[in-house]
Amino acid sequence: MFIINCPYCGEREQSEFKAGGEAHIVRPKQPTELSDDEWAEYLFMRKNIKGIQFERWVHTHGCRKWFNMIRDTSNDEIKAVYKMGDKPPIK
Amino acid sequence: MLNYINAITEEKSYSGLQMKEIKPVMKLIVRGKKREFLSAIGKSLNLLLPTEANTSTRSEKLTALWLSPDEWIIYSNKISDTDNNNYEIENLLTKNITKTNLGAITDVTDQFVLINLKGDKIFDLFQTGSPFNFNNFRNKKGSVIQTILAKIDVIIHNENQNEINLFVRRSFSHHLFSWMNDSASRL
Repeated sequence: MFIINCPYCGEREQSEFKAGGEAHIVRPKQPTELSDDEWAEYLFMRKNIKGIQFERWVHTHGCRKWFNMIRDTSNDEIKAVYKMGDKPPIK
Repeated sequence: MLNYINAITEEKSYSGLQMKEIKPVMKLIVRGKKREFLSAIGKSLNLLLPTEANTSTRSEKLTALWLSPDEWIIYSNKISDTDNNNYEIENLLTKNITKTNLGAITDVTDQFVLINLKGDKIFDLFQTGSPFNFNNFRNKKGSVIQTILAKIDVIIHNENQNEINLFVRRSFSHHLFSWMNDSASRL
């Protein structure tokens, strides 16, 4: 249980949100030219690191907007929250 | 002509808490992003949509609640005519908003049930089933919040000191109301 600062609604409890996996995965420009392995890499392979991870979250039970979050997966500390399309504030 | 059937038939009263359904009340969801959309709504209804998060605006006839940066719910302050389910305001907005491709208007009158709660124990009740911190909310008249209450999605509007309007989807309303009664009886 932790508090997430939704960029639209403000501080809300985590149970109002849903996690949407890793963020900033770019779709290949020419999917037809990729091999099956490369396509699978894009489609299925996720980093799942222990430490600082870039994620997508959605405020399901609130404004229903998607946003990005930088979270430390080892202790759930939220480093930053920013809107979709924005550049990450920290690297 | 629509038959208005109550989702909740009883009116419940506890010490410091009264709950009842208010119907029929017109409810519309309006969606749009453009600046022209906001000004067109403002002109049509004589009511500016709130652009600040978790707030509401009110005119003599209507109240508009902020739901998300591009979504609002508008509801009538007074109960409407039971003999008809055709709303002047909806027709006006369809003409000025939908037909000019500025945004979308959806009639959700029958989708949402409006429960009115009165009394000084409202937030003690909410505390038992919601993860939201109501401390600032309760003192800010006109504030709005979408959250979960007993695991059900609700829209809560702080209408007045010790008076709350709560919107819940019709299919969940009966369950929520019985949960609220159960919870209120043990406050």
